[in-house]
Amino acid sequence: MTHPRAKIAFFDFAGCEGCQLTVLDTLQTHPELLQAVEILEFRESMSEREDGYEIAFIEGSCVWPMDEERLRKIRAQAKIVVALGACAHIAGVNSIRRSMSPEKAAEIVYGREVQNYVTKSARPIDAIIPVDAVLPGCPIDRHEFLRAVSMLLQGTLPQIPSDPVCVECRLDENRCLLLRGQACMGPITRGGCGAICPAFGVGCEGCRGMLADMNFEGLREQFLANGLSLADFERRISMFLSEQTPTLQVRA
Amino acid sequence: MLLKILSKSDLPDAVERLGQRYRIIAPMLHEGQTVFKELLPGDAPDMEYRTTPLPPKKALLPPREELIQLQSTNGESRLEPVLDVQPAVLLGVHTCDLHAIGLLDKVFTEGVPDQHYINRRRLTKIISLECLEPCSEHSFCKSMGTLAVPESFDLHLTDLGSDYAVEIGSKAGLNLLWKFFTIRDAGDDDYARLNKAMSEKWSRFNYRLDIDATELPGLMSLNYADELWEELGQQCLSCGACNLVCPTCFCFDVQDEIDVDLRSGVRTRVWDSCQLARFALVAGGHNFRIRRGDRLRHRFMRKGKYIQEMYDRPGCVGCGRCAQACPVDIKPLDVFNRLAAGHVNQSEMKKEAIV
Repeated sequence: MTHPRAKIAFFDFAGCEGCQLTVLDTLQTHPELLQAVEILEFRESMSEREDGYEIAFIEGSCVWPMDEERLRKIRAQAKIVVALGACAHIAGVNSIRRSMSPEKAAEIVYGREVQNYVTKSARPIDAIIPVDAVLPGCPIDRHEFLRAVSMLLQGTLPQIPSDPVCVECRLDENRCLLLRGQACMGPITRGGCGAICPAFGVGCEGCRGMLADMNFEGLREQFLANGLSLADFERRISMFLSEQTPTLQVRA
Repeated sequence: MLLKILSKSDLPDAVERLGQRYRIIAPMLHEGQTVFKELLPGDAPDMEYRTTPLPPKKALLPPREELIQLQSTNGESRLEPVLDVQPAVLLGVHTCDLHAIGLLDKVFTEGVPDQHYINRRRLTKIISLECLEPCSEHSFCKSMGTLAVPESFDLHLTDLGSDYAVEIGSKAGLNLLWKFFTIRDAGDDDYARLNKAMSEKWSRFNYRLDIDATELPGLMSLNYADELWEELGQQCLSCGACNLVCPTCFCFDVQDEIDVDLRSGVRTRVWDSCQLARFALVAGGHNFRIRRGDRLRHRFMRKGKYIQEMYDRPGCVGCGRCAQACPVDIKPLDVFNRLAAGHVNQSEMKKEAIV
């Protein structure tokens, strides 16, 4: 029994293209993917493009006014829209500019050229269009991408874990960074990444986004109890989590 | 006599011989901590270890375990159970963990027998290790009655300095001993050494429950509505660490995963945690333990009362792993003792009121 291949397309907005590269790499490590899907557009890897895609994977955050129109066009065509990676999901590292006014950020980045740029604050794509599923992370996890494709082929929407990073971290017997007095956002961050950063001794940056049910204040208190400062905590938040932490946005 | 003596210098050879026939899972130094791991040729077990992040439970109930493989060819589907077939030796199990394995044996054989667990358990011989010092400042095994070894080992070793005293707990243990170990019979002097080690050890375990462990279930019932749960719920990060490192926790989640060819897949089980927000989420979207304090209370109820009542074995073996793992310092003994203190105060208040 052979299934018709699902028609998919990849689109990119403001981001580093690392999630697309992860997809590209996954196509090489798992060539069976190409038996399962037909790629109609993927600027990162091919110059041909064709309309008629059913599933759109969108990488990157929305920063330019013209991005909005492009996003709406994709939404009008695709049956299913999947946010691919932290930038599309929670505005990613781009959201770091939320710690200051957009004008100030533009001035720091572009200097004298600032008047030639009309960037706005970075926004996740679900601020513009409805999104059916999310593949979080910076970059995405290749196994999660494979699982998501399989679920889409089965006719269901991809599910992502709602457990904190700590779960996989403990199962792998990594040494807890918080217990060693270091900064780690693991307890409030969505797992599913294999706790890859703590596994290599680096505290979680929160790239997969904050869990809906978590103890934000509790973690902040623990940072302080560990001898870290409030600034340390806010620095961690500003990397990936400012979109989900409205109270910390635009500080004087 | 049943007591044998194994010279420590003969252990490496015995382990090597065992390794040719069995998969050996033993405490091993790994990146600054001791973890239970499969020994590879040339590896030496860390027989002096104190504690490990995960308990040896993981050798019998792996954190992630494939249960079923699915394969579909030419329209025909086949489901194959995945069963471990390699005999194993679990070496260096401390007494608290052995008590916990005794609980798991009950849990996975009574009611709905779990063939994956039972199969692996049947293939695994246990060589346990007498505890002469507390594992950590958090261990309160003595209070929980788990500092004395239960009779579920195949062989049990007690450190006598240059030798191990070896007790034989089963026929399988006896076979292991004859086939793989170089030993001698214990003499009067060895018995004296063993008695000395055993009588001296108890006074080293001072961290303790303020009540008798048999009073715990009652204490937990009395304090079901205590405000302590809500207070601890404010601190708790719901990270699940306490469950995941616990030797008596046995909840798991089952996940199916189909490959992108839609022809093959696996069913996997993964250790679960009742501290995670989605644990008590049921169909329809209702979550019957939405508050962190409620989840925390549930765990303490399991440890102090429910498991004891259901399985007639302690739900907490006092290993101290959860206290060590908790990033916000929630310690089971503190919780039990605080409840006990509150209860004592209440009864004293009552007494005063009556007088």
